[in-house]
Amino acid sequence: MARNARYQDKYLQNFKEHLKELISINCISKAYRTGRGKVQALSDISLFVETGMTLTIMGKSGSGKTTLLNCIGGLEGPDTGSVECFGVDIHALSNRDLSLFQRRNMGFVFQYGNLLSYLTVFENIAFPLILNGFRNKEKERRVSELLDKMELSDAARAMPNELSGGEAQRVAFARAIAHSPGMLLADEPTASLDTETGNKLVKLMLTMGKDEKCTIIISTHDQEIIKLSSKSSYIKDGKMKGPENE
Amino acid sequence: MPFLFWIKTASLFLVRSRRSTAVLILMIFSAVSTLIFLASLAVGINDAMIRNSVSLYSGHISGFNLPVNVRIKSLFTDGVSNVLMRIPVPGVVSYSGKMAAVTLIAVDPVEEKKSTAVWKKIIKGKYLEPGKNQILLSKSVAEQLNAGPGETIVFSPDHDSPPVQLALTGIYNTGIYQLDRDIAFCQIAALPSKAAYWNAAIFLNDAADKDLILAGYNKAYLKKSLFKTWSDLMPDLKQLIDLNYISMSIVMVLVFGVVSLGIACAFSIFILKNIREYGIMKAMGVSPYETLLLIFSEVILLNLTASFMGIIGGIAAVLMFQKTGIDLSVYTSHNQYFIVSGVIFPRLTAYSVWLAPCLALVFSVFAAIWPATLVIRTNTSRILRSI
Ligand SMILES: Nc1ncnc2c1ncn2[C@@H]1O[C@H](COP(=O)(O)OP(=O)(O)OP(=O)(O)O)[C@@H](O)[C@H]1O
Ligand SMILES: [Mg+2]
Repeated sequence: MARNARYQDKYLQNFKEHLKELISINCISKAYRTGRGKVQALSDISLFVETGMTLTIMGKSGSGKTTLLNCIGGLEGPDTGSVECFGVDIHALSNRDLSLFQRRNMGFVFQYGNLLSYLTVFENIAFPLILNGFRNKEKERRVSELLDKMELSDAARAMPNELSGGEAQRVAFARAIAHSPGMLLADEPTASLDTETGNKLVKLMLTMGKDEKCTIIISTHDQEIIKLSSKSSYIKDGKMKGPENE
Repeated sequence: MPFLFWIKTASLFLVRSRRSTAVLILMIFSAVSTLIFLASLAVGINDAMIRNSVSLYSGHISGFNLPVNVRIKSLFTDGVSNVLMRIPVPGVVSYSGKMAAVTLIAVDPVEEKKSTAVWKKIIKGKYLEPGKNQILLSKSVAEQLNAGPGETIVFSPDHDSPPVQLALTGIYNTGIYQLDRDIAFCQIAALPSKAAYWNAAIFLNDAADKDLILAGYNKAYLKKSLFKTWSDLMPDLKQLIDLNYISMSIVMVLVFGVVSLGIACAFSIFILKNIREYGIMKAMGVSPYETLLLIFSEVILLNLTASFMGIIGGIAAVLMFQKTGIDLSVYTSHNQYFIVSGVIFPRLTAYSVWLAPCLALVFSVFAAIWPATLVIRTNTSRILRSI
């Protein structure tokens, strides 16, 4: 009997340890009230992503990809269900704690207009580093390293409106991973780019994500990207259609 | 460090959104500098009313019943520009069978001309000349006696001294009731007998504190004499000046109320125009408190810059007119508070310099509350989906 209990304890302990390595999305639903009536943007979605994995979320326009990513990143709350990132139920956190969790553990890349338009490329990439209390030297070293990898060293002092779409998305990506977050959420990061530039960016993301041991969740309707990722899910009208390849 | 970081970021936002910042600065700058000038003008108008009222005759402080052993010199303290001796003698003036009761005031004509303005109010003849046995009559007394300049007037004091003969040198009319009724002037040396007491008219520099000087006199001479400032002797003027300050303050608050509506709209647009930036920051984990810190740093920095420029602009405008003054005689010629001169010299005081910038700061901080709350209340995903 006692032995059994000890076994259960140990099992639970292991399970909890395991949870810390996971992003788990448990039965989340989200509806919007609109002029067209109630729109069920997400219904009953559950997902698990392990550390270092890349999950691609596929779906047509309006299927709920952005809504799902925003719920995972804590930018909006689901009506029901929960999102646990590394063992923390992020929607149960206070505003302040959620902010602190986001600044430490998350990086976002949106479809367009990612950059703070009043800050230079350098200042944009340095922003999350300052929020996370990096020292000046460390900060400068990290930013130049990222600029190097993104082949943007000469653009450090440029303002965002002086960049091409591809360059801007690379800066956004550099900023999203600058503070080595545990997870990167990218919502159609290549949608505003041509196929070739887009593919180059995604490849860069995936290789760098591996290097940094970062879990990547990326939404797209580009078939090419699926081939590069470790796992992909398909959603249609807010419903999960299951992983297509593992 | 983080606090400084937000202030630095706020200033980068301001510097790099050049046009919006410039427009907002221009609005606050012009409001602040205009109001500083207007407030200084109000102070100048009050100064002019006081200067006119005291410099006609009475001085800023009047001393009564000073024993003759108190010297004029001993009343000169810090901030006092002149002290005039006056000896009132009640009596009767007569001329060719007609009589009138007067208070004959013995003065020093040379000193009077330096500090007072009765000599500018002569309507017939001349003012008293030093060293002569002359008398100057107010218009009403001269009309009672039906006498003109050059005639000889007899003055009989109420007490036992013998009557004296004085040559009528001129007739004055100030327009101030108390000065125009039953008053005559002569030289101190022309008095029939030595007086035991005298009255003092004490004139102060513009910035001197009359109450402080009064307190000094009271401490030294209170036992036998009585000192009063113009605000005790002319309560109507005192009230008018208080009224002037109050109405100026009300005007300032109202003007700023209206201006602040404009500023509020501009600030709202300025903040909401950047709402996407705040949304991106929120997604990066900037907390609501830090967002507020950033927005209010922007508002306060912008305000301090604009107010600083406004203060300099306002002060420059005041300095420009401080020497020459602004001549408003056309609007003051029938006014008893501007009897000597209608020229206004705007003057800077703590009140006129600080009221406007303080109001600007308070109003713009209030104006920023609504858009700032909107920014931190609005869902991040909604911010990022719009536009
Ligand atoms: N703030 C909102 N208010 C009302 N309805 C919304 C809102 N946001 C999204 N929706 C609706 O929810 C559904 C899912 O939208 P979502 O943006 O998640 O789709 P998506 O898959 O990202 O589309 P796209 O590929 O075009 O970006 C859509 O039908 C949309 O109209
Ligand atoms: Mg979308």
